[in-house]
Formats: sequence, C-alpha cells, structure tokens
Amino acid sequence: MRPCDVTRRALVALALTVVCATCAAPLHAQSKLDRGVAPTPGPSPAIRVPVWTHAKLANGAELVVTPKHDLPLVSVSINFVGGSYAFEPAGKVGTAAFAAQMLSEGTAARTADQFSEAQQLLGTSINASVTGESGSIGFTALADKLGPALDLVAEMLLHPTFPTASLERIRGRTLVQLKQAKDQPNAIAANVFSRTVFGTEHPYGRVMTEATVQAVTRDDIVAFHATYFRPGRSVITVAGDVDPAAVKTLFERAFALWAAGGERPAWQYPPAPVAPATRIYLVDKPGAAQSVFAIGLPGPPRSTPDYFALQVMNTLLGGLFQSRLNHDIREVHGFSYGVNSSFGFGRGPGAFRAGGGVITAKTDSALIEFMMEFRGVQGGIPFTDDEIQQGKESLVQSLPKRFGSVNAVAGSVSSLFTQDLPQTYYRDYPANVRAVTREDLVRVAKKYIDLQHLDIVIVADRSAVEAPLAATGIAPIVLLDLEGRPVASGSAVPTGAGGR
Amino acid sequence: MPVMSLKGARSAGRFVRALAATAAATAMLVLAAAAASATTGGHGNVINIPFERYELANGLTVILAPDHATPQATVDVWYHVGSKNEAAGHTGFAHMFEHVMFTGSAHVPYGTHDRLTEGVGGDNNGSTSNDRTQYYEDVPANYVESALWMEADRMGFLLDKLDETKFVAQRDVVKNERRQRTDNVPYGRAYEILTSAMLPDGHPYSWPIVGYMTDLQKATVDDVKDFFRLYYAPSNATLSVVGDFDPAQVRSWITKYFVDLPAGAPVTRPAVPTVTLAAPKRLVYEDRVQVPRLYVTWPSAGEDDDDYYALDVMSDILAGSRTARITKALVYDRQTATAANMFNDGNEKFGSALLMITPRPGHTLTELEASADSILARFLQEGPTADEMARALAGTEFGFVSELESNLGKAEILNSGAAFHGDPGYYKTAYAKLKAVTAADVKRVAAKYLVPGRVVLSVVPAGKPEQASNAGPSTKVTVSPDGGHYLMEAK
Repeated sequence: MRPCDVTRRALVALALTVVCATCAAPLHAQSKLDRGVAPTPGPSPAIRVPVWTHAKLANGAELVVTPKHDLPLVSVSINFVGGSYAFEPAGKVGTAAFAAQMLSEGTAARTADQFSEAQQLLGTSINASVTGESGSIGFTALADKLGPALDLVAEMLLHPTFPTASLERIRGRTLVQLKQAKDQPNAIAANVFSRTVFGTEHPYGRVMTEATVQAVTRDDIVAFHATYFRPGRSVITVAGDVDPAAVKTLFERAFALWAAGGERPAWQYPPAPVAPATRIYLVDKPGAAQSVFAIGLPGPPRSTPDYFALQVMNTLLGGLFQSRLNHDIREVHGFSYGVNSSFGFGRGPGAFRAGGGVITAKTDSALIEFMMEFRGVQGGIPFTDDEIQQGKESLVQSLPKRFGSVNAVAGSVSSLFTQDLPQTYYRDYPANVRAVTREDLVRVAKKYIDLQHLDIVIVADRSAVEAPLAATGIAPIVLLDLEGRPVASGSAVPTGAGGR
Repeated sequence: MPVMSLKGARSAGRFVRALAATAAATAMLVLAAAAASATTGGHGNVINIPFERYELANGLTVILAPDHATPQATVDVWYHVGSKNEAAGHTGFAHMFEHVMFTGSAHVPYGTHDRLTEGVGGDNNGSTSNDRTQYYEDVPANYVESALWMEADRMGFLLDKLDETKFVAQRDVVKNERRQRTDNVPYGRAYEILTSAMLPDGHPYSWPIVGYMTDLQKATVDDVKDFFRLYYAPSNATLSVVGDFDPAQVRSWITKYFVDLPAGAPVTRPAVPTVTLAAPKRLVYEDRVQVPRLYVTWPSAGEDDDDYYALDVMSDILAGSRTARITKALVYDRQTATAANMFNDGNEKFGSALLMITPRPGHTLTELEASADSILARFLQEGPTADEMARALAGTEFGFVSELESNLGKAEILNSGAAFHGDPGYYKTAYAKLKAVTAADVKRVAAKYLVPGRVVLSVVPAGKPEQASNAGPSTKVTVSPDGGHYLMEAK
C-alpha cells in the first residue's frame, strides 16, 4: 500500500463525515469543554521514603535491609567503598575489572560452566564489577531464590580459583575491545577528555591501554582479591520481599567464613592539574558523520556545600530534555540528536562535562551555542522564576522514581551508606533543593564553569571542521591523537586566541 | 523489533532499551522470554496484571490498571502504525512523524509536554518500531489528567497548528539521530544491509525504521498531514493508564477529553509476504572498523506465528550465554572468537534469526563461519538436550515479574497485546505458548528456518575485502552516492 496515495486521502475524508454523524450526541454534550485550559493538578503526592533496618554482621559488614512486598522479588548487592583508584596499581589499569570478572571463572566446588549453569537454573545472573571509587557483587531474583543465589555469591567471593587460562581469555577479549573502542567516537572523546582534564598522574586520568592490560598478572588478581573484597569496607543492601531478621540469618550463615578486615580508603587525591587556558583539542576522525563534543574541567567533590545549588543549576543548563543546552542546540537549531551536561561528583574533583554529537557542518555553530549558554547561566541570560521552579520540582518530584523498583531502592539506600550521607537525606531533600536561590545558581555557574580554563574536546573530521572552528576565535586548536597525545606534525592552526 | 526513540540522549534507560532492541531483542521478546516456566517456583499467580478494558464509541481502546505501589502513573498511547506502513522512497516517515507529535497541537503549545512531565518530576518519550508508534508520560499521580489532556489534543488537533519551522528542525534532528545511531557507529549499518538483502524490494519490513537519508530530506509538511489523517485516530489507537489513580476518576477524564474525537477511517494494513531465499547471499561491506565481524541471518517467524516461541528458545540455546553451543565452543573452548550472539528478531508479522560472531586476532571469518556451521549441523541432527531446555526456560518467570516493576513496563505489555492481538491480556497466552515449547519444537523450527537460503555478511576494515568469509563469492555492498540506499549486485 502507499501511504501517500491521493485516493486514500479522499476516502478518509468521507469516512470522517460518516463517523462524526454517529458521535453527534457526545459532541453536543461536551460542547462546553474548553481544551485550551490546562487541567489543574491536585496537590502533590507526599514523598514516601521507604524504611530500612541497619545491622552489622559478625565480620563487620554492614547490612541494610529495605522490605518492599508488592512483588516477589529481591535485590542483593554487596557494595565495596573504594575502588580501582585506591586499590589498583597505577601501571596495571584493568586489574580491578579483571578480578571482578574472574570471580565467575570457577570456584573450589564448580567449574565456570557449572557456575554459569547454576545461575541460569535459578533464573538469575550474578554481576560483579569494580569501578574507580566503588565495587559491587549482586543479583536480582525471585525472592524464593534468595538463599541458593546467596550461596553462589559466597562461593565466588570466598573460593574463586582464578584459572590462568581464564585470565588469558579475558585479556585477549579486552585487547580486542580496546581496538574496537578506537572506532567509537564517543569512547575516544571520553578517553581524551579524561586525559586532557586530569593528565596522566591523577587517578581520574588513568585509562586502560594495551600496555596496562598486558601488565596484569594472575598474582596481581590474587593480591587484589585478598586486599579488596573485605567485609570491613562493605555495605550489603537487600531490598524486596524479605524479612530483615531472616536475611541477617541467611547472610551470617552464607558468609560465616568471610574473615573480618578491610577499611574504607582515606580518599586522599592529588589536586587536579592546573588547567591551562581554554583550548580546543581536536581529534581527527576522517569521514566521521558527526562531531562528538566533551567540554569541561575538574569540578567539586560530592561533599561540596554547593551540591544542591549545582544540581539545580545543571538541571537548568543541561540535565533535562527541555534544559537550555538541548533546547537551543537540538530543538531550536536541529544541530544534534541531543546534548547535555553533568557534574561527576565523586570523592575527588569529578569533572563538569557538557557535550553530545553534532552534525559536522554545524560544529562551529554548535560550539558558539555551547559557549553562549555557559555565559547565559552565569548571568548573561537571567533565569526566569518559572524555569527555576520547574528545575527544582523536576528534582523533588522525581524522588519516587528512586524507590520504584527493588534495584532502585537498594541503590538509593546504599548510596547513603557508601557516600557518608545523613540517614535523613531523602526526607530533607525537597527542602534542600527548594532552599537554593537564584543568586546561588549564578554564583556556582561562575565558580565551577570557568570559561577561561575549559578543555573543549572535539572528535571530528578535521578536514571539515578545523578552519570553521578556528574562525570562531573561541580558543586555539591543539591536535591530539586517539589517545590524547599531541600530534607532532600538522600542528595547530594559528587562531585568534583572545577572541572571546 | 528494533525501536527508534525520540529522546534517546537524555533518557538513559529507554535509550539502552532501544539500542538493545536494535540488536534484535524486543519488548515482546522480553515478554516472551519472560513468560515461560510457571512450573518452577511458587509465583504462577504473579503472571498477572489486573486490568479493565473498554472501548469508546469512536473506537479508542482504553485499558486501566491501577497500582498504588508508588505515587506515580503512566499514560501510554500506541498507534498501530510503524515503518512497515510506509512505502519505498518514503522511508523513515512514521518515525519522523513521531517527532512532529512533540511540536505542539491546537491547544497544547510546544514545550507544554515537557513542562507538565519533566518540569514536575516526570518524564515523557516516544518511540517507533516497524509495527507501532508509542507515546507516553510518566508522571506524579496528580498529573494524570494533564497527560490525558495532552494526548487527546495531539490525537485530535495536531494539524491545527502545524509549524513548518519546527517540522524542519525536527527533520534535522532525525537526520542527526540517523548519523548518531547508524552512520557514525562502527558496524552501525550491518542490520540495515542484512534486512535490505534478505527481503525483496517493496517488502514492508525491508527498509530501516529511521529511514534512508535521501527520503528523510524530501519529507514535506503535506506528507505529515497525509500521515496524520491516515493513521492518527482513536480507532487505530490504544490508551493504557497504569499506576496510582482512581479508576472512576480516570474514566471520566478519558470521556471528557477523548469521546468527541472523530474515529478515523479503517486502516488498510500492508500485506506481508512470507520470505524464503532460494540460495544463500554472500555480502561484504567495508566499514570504518579495525576488527571484522560475521553476520548470518535467516528469514524466520514473527509474533503472529507460534514458531516464534520455539525460535526464541532455539536462539538462547545456540548462542549468547556462556553455555550456549556456539558461544561455548568459539568464545570459551576454542577461543577463536571474542563474542557470539544470536536472537530471533520477532516483529508483528515478520521475523528473522540473526547470528553475530566477532573473531579474535589470528582467526578468520571463513574459519568462524565453518565452525558455526558444523555446530549448527549437529544441532539440526540431534536437537536440544533436556538440560539445555531447562536452562533456556528457567529465567523466564523472573524476567516477566521484573517487567511488572514499572508502570511503563506494564502499560507496554497491555498495549502490545491490545494492538497486535486485540487482547491486552495476551501476555498470558504468550506465556502459555512459551511454556509449552518442547525440545521437539526447537528441533523442528531449527530444521525449518536454519536453511541454506540465508544472508551472510562480513563487515571488514576498509580496504581489506579479503578478510570476508569466503571472500571470493561475496558481493561488495556500497552506499549509493546520494546516501539513499545500499548497492549490492546480487539482489
């Protein structure tokens, strides 16, 4: 059939006439409906924060249980405070990730295949991962599978065999993935951005490379396992259709052999490198269909007193679909499928980062818009009352989503314990968000989006974008390779660096 | 079914889902995979979504499913139109139209949708598949009426304030979406090439949902008007409301806003011919990749065919998990591949089975294709073991119950049943059918569909066509100079 066929249009018009005759009565009955008047919403529903219990296991692990009985599900996560930045040798990036993957590669009692089959038969999948500042081992399952699934977790945590052959297989796969990442503009932009912003010495600038992957040995994995996966730095969160006392009994039994020890890291980071004057770091990707942007600089830690002001400010700048960046660059100009911004908020100087994919031909125009919007939130385009109100309510009224599933509940509750937040955090969240003032928003935008020290990373087809970018006069251009190293030949085009 | 979503960039969860779907997992596939195995565990009674269904005089199907677990609700509208309703030369229109639905309607100015969802702590999005187009609002419980008001307005009055400037901007956004998700992604065009090669010209499932760039460029405002008049009306829509609301109240709001919208004319559905390939097609495509990858696809069965369920189980047994036959052999035992996955990509009226294998350095696509074929040959002969059947079906109940955690998940299950099977409760039928799949069924569908008539595509690094599997007999695929379609001699 042909949707654009003219004949069909005529048929539709005819049919409409007939159908409307049949619904004449409702039309009249409804004649007073004024569709131009938006419905008045009722009062906002009260924020319901779930209630959890807190206990300590004999080995020192914290156990936090949040009952939620509407469905027969349970979410379990053993969270570790601290991650690869604190526990992984600097030249061996990959050790932590490999150790997590190796936990499923066989135990004293089962081969890797048998271990996989056991999970499948329970209808669950146990996931283990370690990232920069945290790690976790967990699963979601039907509640009646909690006991046997927990036994599997204890088995992999306490009795892994770490076969050498498995390490080599994982290493080989990782090397292929690293190669494939060089084809992916988003991955390139993320790697180069962390390199330009944090340098090679700061843990936040560490990236996995072929060299670090090749350096990891089985002994490193065994040592990491022995040091890292300890109850003293763990917070076990369980949410779902369970009874807290019964859960504690289950854990004490399953993890009876998990010996006490381990502490939370001290979180002592070196300061981020002093940011140079704003630069455009251009990474050439010949033939790229889009230019991928990552613009930013080191930011404040999660513990900053400016946290709520930053959350509201970023929501207005680039946290939502209707935020200024996306509205301008996608909706008004059609330059992109979507752009956004965020703050990293780690224990250290997590970066502010704005970006997205932009059509090659509008790379310069999009950069001009990004810079205009940054100046805008610093006072250039004043926030309206309505805008501030929507930004705050979007944060406050989305709180229920943080408790909408067993995984969401477990994650939301565990973050209080792993990030040292007060137990009353969610109760007080609305008041903290609403207390942010217009002056706060402008102040934090000026303080944390320093226009004189931005790293503007753009992964793009150089032949198409370099001259137009230079012509904007926004900043000098530095050419980098796929790993973020300066490209010696064909160096930067002279540009009007002071053009801003 | 692959799904394009309106606002992928900001809606992380939905974006991930959409990307997974592109790799061939589908909402119904999740449901179907979820649905087996009431026999294990004691939760057979939770394969249940209490709902009420009724129809307005104008043909709008209404489904109400109250759930007071969180003080939120989802309003989810499905129109039974997708890319398969398009015609060759006008591809991508259903999806582009979905974007236009967010540019404002007669009484709801542009921006209001976001204000009354995001701006009050909620969310909204749209998505388009081959078969249907979806619009939803996830809102705090006190904004259900607002959501109904907005959906009714664009269902009835979109064209009253059609804004050409906004249409053109959205057309550019869609072109960027195509760049971001297909053209600028390594291997991003493989799925389009496979589909285009597998299906005859003009087959309703033969073109990509997002459309070809040349077709997108020539779409006009008149096309928008035609499309709206053909497909956007109560009689071609289902409306699900799930979450924390009072049914009597919501029924009265639905009457208030929807009852006087004209029904719309009956929609003529495209005929979807059954497809078999007389002979294998071998293709090679040079991409901006450093690692080659092998794709093998067979025409199979969609959701309208009961073979769909056995195909789903078959795919799980053959590749994906650590113990699946091809994955275990190639990725773990012989270590000639880094990944091997298989899906049955089931749509409303068409399906295809897709196997993807990525080699390790030192191993060729030719070698991997031969290995996979010998494993398939053995499987065709012996069928699955009892253990394989048990493992493939064991996780299905958990998967289903997980979908019930979100209002949106439930709304999608109900709307999917209503749109494709005329029954919001169809998930129970699907569950029973999946539960009934036997080893003999799996053996039978493997023999029926995993036949020599298939498409084998090698995606190789630019300038290295010799890396293709059996490079000699492979036909080279190129993008036409205008970017409008793929050129492949053997078609």
